[in-house]
Amino acid sequence: MIRLEGQPLVKMVDIEKKFRAVQALNKVNLEIQPAEILGLLGDNGAGKSTLIKILAGVFPPDGGEIFFEGKKVNFSSPQDARTLGIETVHQALSLVDIMSIARNFFLGREPTRKIGFIHLLDRKKMNEECKRAVTGLGVRVRSTDEFVSILSGGERQAISIGRAMYFKVKLLILDEPLNALSVRETREVLRQIQKVRESGVSVVFITHNVYHVYPIAERFVMLDKGIKLGEVRKKDASAEDIIEIIATGRMLNK
Amino acid sequence: MTRQENPADLEIEEKLSNFTHLRRLPEFGVILAFIILFTIFSIFATQFLTLRNLTGILTIVSELGIMAIGVAFLMISGEFDLSVSSVYAISGFLFVTFANRYNSPLAFIITLIIALFIGFCNGIITIRTHIPSFITTLGMQLLLRGSLLAITGGESVSYKSDTIMPVLLTKFIGYGFRPSHIWFCLLTLIFSLLLTRTRYGNWVFATGGNKEVARAMGVKTTRVKMINFMLSALLASLSGCIVISRFNLANASFGIGMELEAIASAVIGGTLLTGGYGTIIGVFFGAMITGMMRTGLVMMGAPAYWYQAFVGAILIVAAIINLKLSRIEM
Ligand SMILES: Nc1ncnc2c1ncn2[C@@H]1O[C@H](COP(=O)(O)OP(=O)(O)OP(=O)(O)O)[C@@H](O)[C@H]1O
Ligand SMILES: [Mg+2]
Repeated sequence: MIRLEGQPLVKMVDIEKKFRAVQALNKVNLEIQPAEILGLLGDNGAGKSTLIKILAGVFPPDGGEIFFEGKKVNFSSPQDARTLGIETVHQALSLVDIMSIARNFFLGREPTRKIGFIHLLDRKKMNEECKRAVTGLGVRVRSTDEFVSILSGGERQAISIGRAMYFKVKLLILDEPLNALSVRETREVLRQIQKVRESGVSVVFITHNVYHVYPIAERFVMLDKGIKLGEVRKKDASAEDIIEIIATGRMLNK
Repeated sequence: MTRQENPADLEIEEKLSNFTHLRRLPEFGVILAFIILFTIFSIFATQFLTLRNLTGILTIVSELGIMAIGVAFLMISGEFDLSVSSVYAISGFLFVTFANRYNSPLAFIITLIIALFIGFCNGIITIRTHIPSFITTLGMQLLLRGSLLAITGGESVSYKSDTIMPVLLTKFIGYGFRPSHIWFCLLTLIFSLLLTRTRYGNWVFATGGNKEVARAMGVKTTRVKMINFMLSALLASLSGCIVISRFNLANASFGIGMELEAIASAVIGGTLLTGGYGTIIGVFFGAMITGMMRTGLVMMGAPAYWYQAFVGAILIVAAIINLKLSRIEM
């Protein structure tokens, strides 16, 4: 496949999704460029999480098509999306409480030594690598053998993000990554996201707080009640403009 | 995110790390309970501390324990299996019937394959229809038991075939020990390693701990559950073949209520009823306690009925402790 100049990394076309009576997404189009940070904004229930869950393979869309690096894809499980390099930190779907930090960190991608058909966990590697990655994000854990349940919300979020960054990915999707984070943690995570982008990874950053994403993103897509309101570039709109768009549900006609 | 160290913080950390120590040895509670009960029985029941009695207990414990391992393994991945007692009974019948017609190794293999199929049905029904496995497997239990009673009319069938499988499974090997004791220990070891040291074990914990998270992280949770349903039926079937080889007789009423003893053993051993946590070593001692109570109480002169009452009481206490421990960690 020849990589055309300016070809988007992801192209979602006319995506539709219904949950019984609720039209969560109505013919939504979304493009993600290589190595960009895209802000996906909208009020509660706008359909942001639903859209990226489709992109992450959590469930299929009712209608529409998805292209990844120019090729049409049909994800039947999150594993499919992961294999292509799409890594997601879901709003509430990232860590198993009653499992250790290291086990969570490598869940689904455990480093193993193969003996026959048995995959033995490389527990030494799991603990060391996990500790290194997590410490790199500024979270201080006594032991990666601890249960995730004893961590604070911020520490959990940092571990989810650290995990996404650890595995070399092409697209990183972060659903409300700054919820429950302290000021210092927020700054650290934002710094990490920029670092990820500099290494050539695209990032989709979902939030309803424009001020979180405005400083680092270059493009913003606004959703409202399952409909895409439109998109703006940072040079064309201020943070206040974007708030106005979300609040009124209409694009500004400047 | 570097926190200031202050004395209060450190104190809390110390407390937390104590709980962590507890979790590092999650079998601690059940082993302690085992030692206490063992001591009590040894003191108060005169014939308790004899090799003959202890190996006798071990025979019962092995048959229950092999079943309990499967039940616990499935429970950790978040599902119940109440059909094990019927799989146990029907397996005995199949084994005897096929052995009498062909030979015992072939009968053993056919029986295990049929059990795998029953487990497969339990799994596929639960997963496809989204009804709780509690109901699916209760239905399967009644269906199998009812069919077995109807077909046999309550008549026993005796084993009249070669000694190959009976010798491999349960005939005395000296000092009252039997191969089933070794199988139980071996299976405990294998499943313990499978759970704690392998990738699959990690998926089992994750599937039971939080199915949605596990799926989002790329774990094939339905496959994990299917496999565990099949393993549960497989181990129950093995247990059934063992007990029939010991009695040389199959009866449709074998193992009634045994599924609850197996679940009790799992819970006493520290398995969370809600899934996501448990240890196979714990189940080993859970089965030990359950089996020991059965003979120990009788030997102390208590009517046999007290066995149920005591197991019930221990079960409730164990479930409370399990829950409390998991809360402390949260
Ligand atoms: N699994 C589901 N079943 C039924 N309805 C759902 C499901 N997931 C989402 N919805 C509905 O779809 C709509 C969009 O939800 P979605 O979670 O995508 O919104 P969101 O933009 O992420 O909101 P928030 O900012 O609160 O996270 C909502 O009305 C929600 O109730
Ligand atoms: Mg959301």
